[in-house]
Amino acid sequence: MKELESRQRFDMRMLFFYAAAPILLGLLAMHVLQLQWLEHEKLALQADHNRLNIVPVLPVRGEIVDRQGKGLAVNRIAYQVQLIPERVKDLDATLTMLSGMLHWNPAKLAYIDKRIKHSRPDRPVLLDDKLQWLQVSPIAARLHHMPGVDVEAGSYRQYPYAGLTSHLVGYLSLARKTDTDDGYLANEFIGRTGVERSYESLLHGSLGYQQEEVDAHGRRISVSKRTPPAMGQQLRLALDVEVQQAASDALGNRTGSVVVLDVHSGEVITLLSKPGYDTNRFITGLESEQWQEWLNNIEKPLLNRATQAAYPPASTFKVVTGLAGLKVGSHLANGHTTCPGYLELADRNLRCWKRTGHGQVSLEYAVIQSCDVYFYKLADQIGMAAISDAALEWGLGEKTGIDLPPEARGTIPTQRPYMMAAMKNNSSKRDKWFRGETMITAIGQGTLTATPLQMARLAASVANGGRVLKPLLLAGDEPVLMHQAEVDPKHLKMIQAAMRGVVEKPYGTAHRALADAAWTVAGKTGTAQVIKMSQDDEKAGYTADDISRRHKDHAWFIGYAPYENPQVAIAVFVEHGGHGGSDAAPVAAAVIKVLAAQQDRQQESSQ
Amino acid sequence: MIRVLRGMDWILLLAIISLAALGLVMLYAAVHQGDTGLWQKQFTFWGIGFAAFLVLCFVQLRLLGLISWPFYALALLLLILVPLVGDVQMGARRWLNLGIVNLQPSELMKWALMLILASWFATREARSMQDIGVALLLAVVPAALIVNQPDLGTTLVLLFAATSLLIAAGLPWRWFGLAVIAAIGSLPVLWHFMHDYQKQRVLTLLDPQSDPLGAGYHVIQSTIAIGSGGLMGKGFLQGTQGRLHFLPEQHTDFIFAVLAEEGGFIAVVILLLLYTVLITRMLVISNRAHSRFGSLLCIGVASIFMLYITVNIGMVSGIFPVVGLPLPFISYGGSAMVTMLAALGLVMRVSIESRDRIPWQRPGSSLA
Repeated sequence: MKELESRQRFDMRMLFFYAAAPILLGLLAMHVLQLQWLEHEKLALQADHNRLNIVPVLPVRGEIVDRQGKGLAVNRIAYQVQLIPERVKDLDATLTMLSGMLHWNPAKLAYIDKRIKHSRPDRPVLLDDKLQWLQVSPIAARLHHMPGVDVEAGSYRQYPYAGLTSHLVGYLSLARKTDTDDGYLANEFIGRTGVERSYESLLHGSLGYQQEEVDAHGRRISVSKRTPPAMGQQLRLALDVEVQQAASDALGNRTGSVVVLDVHSGEVITLLSKPGYDTNRFITGLESEQWQEWLNNIEKPLLNRATQAAYPPASTFKVVTGLAGLKVGSHLANGHTTCPGYLELADRNLRCWKRTGHGQVSLEYAVIQSCDVYFYKLADQIGMAAISDAALEWGLGEKTGIDLPPEARGTIPTQRPYMMAAMKNNSSKRDKWFRGETMITAIGQGTLTATPLQMARLAASVANGGRVLKPLLLAGDEPVLMHQAEVDPKHLKMIQAAMRGVVEKPYGTAHRALADAAWTVAGKTGTAQVIKMSQDDEKAGYTADDISRRHKDHAWFIGYAPYENPQVAIAVFVEHGGHGGSDAAPVAAAVIKVLAAQQDRQQESSQ
Repeated sequence: MIRVLRGMDWILLLAIISLAALGLVMLYAAVHQGDTGLWQKQFTFWGIGFAAFLVLCFVQLRLLGLISWPFYALALLLLILVPLVGDVQMGARRWLNLGIVNLQPSELMKWALMLILASWFATREARSMQDIGVALLLAVVPAALIVNQPDLGTTLVLLFAATSLLIAAGLPWRWFGLAVIAAIGSLPVLWHFMHDYQKQRVLTLLDPQSDPLGAGYHVIQSTIAIGSGGLMGKGFLQGTQGRLHFLPEQHTDFIFAVLAEEGGFIAVVILLLLYTVLITRMLVISNRAHSRFGSLLCIGVASIFMLYITVNIGMVSGIFPVVGLPLPFISYGGSAMVTMLAALGLVMRVSIESRDRIPWQRPGSSLA
């Protein structure tokens, strides 16, 4: 009986087991049903998210070429070598193999090793960048021996004329926080200076997008939908690298600026500022030591001297004073005066550069010989207001409007600020505008300043009949007339003739440098006195050599050519360069030589 | 020979073969983009396992009862050797390198324990303190060794198999109730002794989103795979979760997600129905068994299968913590495949020996 009891108990327990299996499996089925039916939509969406990544595709940046089509900012194909640590079977062997092919030195190898150890094992680590195909092709061929290693193609910006065109073309750098706030991606490059900055919106192009199917490692399996990026526009500049190079060669290692404009269109054929700097260094990520060096260099290589720095224009400004005298109908402008070599004022004597004096001088002679005393007297007659009005009328004291911000305005002294200052602090010394100040201004000294670009435009306006144009960076843009100087053609003709005399007459200040130039040139030289070294300079610790150099005068030349049928206007500025006639004018000769040669070539080929 | 063939339970055999076929198909889906060599290996494992199954169909149960004690002793010895000379794989010391094969003694112990408990209770019921005490000792010693390896999954299997056999052997319900209360009471103690990764798994289960790219990743991804499959599935080889490697371990423990994603709820129901047939059939054989030893053996095997299935699907669908238990016949893995088929060989042998005989202790039965 006991035995039957145990069988009965077993049968009872059997029922428990019979029931347990379907109940447990049924519960599981219900749970799975909940996932697959009730939560299906939500989870299917998540699966899609998992699978499809919307990835932006960077556009190729538009290239910048000069007017002859030479590349100034170009895109080069480069390759990167990356490695995903977790997929590498034998890290040491892989690195040894790569090191052999890419010629890494031990320091680089150690650095890479350290970076890999500090990186997430599932993300690519950049090992080497900016490689050429010949360098990476052996790696590409052996990729299957090196799991986890990948070679990626991309492009980087290169500036073939980096030092020559650094200020004009500018440079790029990676997006910063403020840029990403504006909608840029973190791995995009953005124009920071020059044309790269001003025409950023044209050059950049627009982002494309593609839907990528990726796996859990983020590896791309395939690309589904694709909106291709729109490539940035190619920009053809008015700039002529050949001319710019000639100007640069003529300046040599001197500091300064050369601007060449098309007198009719305002196109910028040359816009040189020396010294330049290597803009290619920015692309790889500039080392801060290099940046600091450029910032602190007394030569100020980062400064665009053509547009961002204003200097006293010196005697080149006499063109404006002369035009002002003619316009107000000063009888001196149409007559003569005597230059004894100085002008006596109440409290001091103002000297002419020629101590012995010029004798009897007319306006034409005064321009040709750059007689200071004549212009002192003319200024005294016509007054400061007439001079500053003329300066404004001919485009000084205002931004030229060139697409290269920031631009210096330059200063034109008027009596107003001095009177204001006088009312404020009641200073007896500065409570009135001295006659002498008007005279100093008339010869382009004192507080009057202008940029080389403004002076080039002045020369262009004299050549084209008083049209003050916006300097154009892009070739073929419609000329933009800023304003028209109101000038009697007869008066303008007189000034033009005087400027021609500067070159043509044996006693002209630019005769020696330009009389034999390829084209007939009209122009004006200038030699700006440099203000005494300030105490700031001493504190800055400049050496004796620097000081003696910094005492030297600035040399100027402005002009246009050919005289009979003007095409280009030129401004040459040589910082602490010496004399306008001997130091600045030869640079203009070198530029004109190249321009004339180019024209000859064109005529030959068109025949 | 003829007796063996006539005594075969054809429904059970059909269920086994269907599951094996389904398993091979799903494995192909899981590995077809990667190492397809795994598929061929699994096919080989299947062949070896089926051979073991057939061999065991010819081994008399009486003989099994005799070797159950030495077999248990051997398994225990190997288990003790593991911490001393075992290999460390994936952070746990579970394997013994025997030259040709890597043996996992804990895998052997599951079946050794099942055999010895069935043998122990073949002649007695689990009604006295003494009889139950011996059974508990037989289960707890290897369980303590295995939990130390650490291998939570196998420990769970040992305790679950022992409990099932104790219930089948007539363990009084109130004792069972007390044991459950004691087990719940000991959870904090167990928690204290758990390894960090095990604690993490439990925590992750409670809130998988807390660590979506770390420990919760597996569960989130497999849940997405299952749910996105919907009722009809995405189609064979069309699953994106598995194909794009979002699913971890997709050919081993997480293969259920591939099946649910590509086959949808339909495939899940088919799979669960096949399992239901498999287990119910084992229970039928148990009920019909000629000997009490045979009955208990079948219940032991059936409960281990049940545990595997429940824990694996529960884990992949996010209701149990991640413990490494395979899905019988579907997951990739040689040891599991061979031992499970061997275990079914035992069940089949019970069926063969019971043919045309009266079950134990039924009126007219010759056996006690």
